[in-house]
Amino acid sequence: MQLETILPVCSPAHKQSFVLCVVAMCRAVPINDLIYRASQQSDKLHALSTMLTQELGSEAFPIDRVLACHTSSLQTPTDKEQALQVSESDLLSLARSLLQAWSDPLEVLSSSTNVLPYSAQSTLSKTIQKMQEHSKDLKDGLDILSSKMGPAAQTITSLPFIQTNEIGQDKITKLLSCFRRDSHKIDSFLKVLRCRAANMQPQVC
Amino acid sequence: MVCARMVKHLRLPLLLLLLALAAECNSMSKPGKPDKLGCRSPDKETFFCWWTPGSDGGLPTVHRLYYKTEGRETVRQCPDYHTAHSCFFSKTYTSIWVEYTVIVEASNALGNTSSDPLTFDLMDIVKPYAPENVTLVVSIGDNPHLTIQWHTPSNIDTKSGWVTLKNQLRIKLEKSKIWKNYTSDTQTHFTIYNIELGVVYMVEVRCAIDNSAWSEWTNTTFVKVPNFPRTDNSFWILVFSLSLIPLLVAMIILILKRKTVKKYILPPVPAPKIRGVDVQLLKSGRSEDVINAMLLNQRFPVVMPWKDQNEDYLIVSDKETSYLPLEKNKIFILPVAITLDSEVQSKETSEVDRFLKDSESSSEESSEKTKSSQLLTKCPSTNVLNDEKANQLKGVTEKIIQPFGISGYVDIPRHEHTQEADYSRVNEVNSDNILIMKKENVPHTLDTQGQEGGVLDDYSRVKEVNSDNTVFLEKHSDSVNASIRAKGYIDWVNQKAKSPHVTGHSEMGVCPQLVGCGYVDTFPPPAVI
Repeated sequence: MQLETILPVCSPAHKQSFVLCVVAMCRAVPINDLIYRASQQSDKLHALSTMLTQELGSEAFPIDRVLACHTSSLQTPTDKEQALQVSESDLLSLARSLLQAWSDPLEVLSSSTNVLPYSAQSTLSKTIQKMQEHSKDLKDGLDILSSKMGPAAQTITSLPFIQTNEIGQDKITKLLSCFRRDSHKIDSFLKVLRCRAANMQPQVC
Repeated sequence: MVCARMVKHLRLPLLLLLLALAAECNSMSKPGKPDKLGCRSPDKETFFCWWTPGSDGGLPTVHRLYYKTEGRETVRQCPDYHTAHSCFFSKTYTSIWVEYTVIVEASNALGNTSSDPLTFDLMDIVKPYAPENVTLVVSIGDNPHLTIQWHTPSNIDTKSGWVTLKNQLRIKLEKSKIWKNYTSDTQTHFTIYNIELGVVYMVEVRCAIDNSAWSEWTNTTFVKVPNFPRTDNSFWILVFSLSLIPLLVAMIILILKRKTVKKYILPPVPAPKIRGVDVQLLKSGRSEDVINAMLLNQRFPVVMPWKDQNEDYLIVSDKETSYLPLEKNKIFILPVAITLDSEVQSKETSEVDRFLKDSESSSEESSEKTKSSQLLTKCPSTNVLNDEKANQLKGVTEKIIQPFGISGYVDIPRHEHTQEADYSRVNEVNSDNILIMKKENVPHTLDTQGQEGGVLDDYSRVKEVNSDNTVFLEKHSDSVNASIRAKGYIDWVNQKAKSPHVTGHSEMGVCPQLVGCGYVDTFPPPAVI
């Protein structure tokens, strides 16, 4: 009997996530713990992006900015009431979609640090690398989580990032601002999800 | 008519005059630029903005706040100016993850002045209020610790999960200048364990939403940690001192009786000592006294120099006896123990006589017998003669051998079990071919080993007797075979009776079969003891 038949929830497409999935299934890690772990990762990701924008200084971020991110097309709640009305699956789906949308741009960012002034380069490259790692971890965790939560959680909206050439400094700052926002969205959604899942433990919220 | 015309002509200048007057009294201008525009969201649901107005230009000035959100082009005005120079945005008007652009305009009769625009996202301006109701509880006992509790700001909703707070507190001693920071996640309490006693602590707490800016610190809260009462120290001091007293007493006793204790703990080890040896005598250095003392004590047998002794020998020769069937012309030598008792002597002699008689029974060579009997007859006299000398000896044997001229030794293997002196030494060989052997009677209460050693040293084995009547003695250093010792005979060479065929061992007493020829042995006197 193959493992896939025993655990149909886990998809063997991605080896690492499959293994994690199998492990999680076999060990029966409760959802609450998975969500808690995911929210910790998202919090860390957001902290990194916030720190990065603060370190680069306000001069890199012009005040009169109008952010037109590549993820703006994704409809997300814009205030608390709206966010509390979204279902758990949708929240997870949104988080996963946003996360997926930043996989490529982070790659582009990590290879474009030479555009910035020299003093900012090392900070940027290090932080971007860390952000990529946390993003990857979070993505794996959310994949497992979504597999436990039904098919609605599985849908991911594609938000392509089209940029083949090297980007300029203003584009970099814009991307970083967009990423900060999106990481905050992910973090907020997961925290709402966490609180809702732990309805018997008020101290979690 | 003319008045109306005059007023009309005067209106304009009058107005100008009034205005000029007014202008001179108040310097009116456009309002100053509103400054220091700021916005803050204390709960991630609402926010408010504030500004600092500029000069009003002498005229009533109105400040208006306009904002614009991302995605909507309309410019809206502040929904609620609930306090002066600030604007409050309620939930309705608050959106997150949208860019706000806020601008304040001051306007008066003379004009408008706008402030610099402020662009922000709600997440940028989130900054909660400070926590409330900080309480400190000191808990004493085995594990003194300080528990700090507080409440989240009352305006924040923590139940929905929309807002997640994390807290930070800092603590320091009142007299110290350095704060120590601790982070607590969502919990609203914290415990510090390693606290000092009898000091005053100062505590402050602040919080943050997500990764936003930190709130202000709370007002400082003071707490005094009391000194813990020492529990009945006097009791333990009393117990301690009482337990010391027997210890002191024991120490005093030990010191006073230290010699006894020392003897008990370290018993004297007896020095090595030889019986009969006086250490002091040894130290005095007089060797004669020492030796005498040693000898007297040890009861060594007195070793008399053998030269001073008269030796008595008895030689028995019997060729015909069955004891010596193999060889002819062998001579027995029967050691006879001579004692003081004449009766014994006579017994001895009678034994000898008997023996001689036996020997006389043999038919051959009676001349030799006679000779031997002569010799034998000699012997008792000689024995008697040497009686005094033999006082000290228990047994004497005399052996007669051809003259040799040289004193030598014939080994006399002593019987192991005899306590008698079994020594015989060849003292001299006189001209009559008599080997005079000295019998030494060495009283031996000592172990036989020494004697045997002495005996061993004295062994000589008759190697051969050549035609020149020379007895060649072997130097024999090995230990003698016990069987040889048991019965040993010396070969006696009678020079005069020498026959040509006699070589070596011929014309001697026949050695017993059991024994190789060549040893003189001393029989233990059977009846003496």
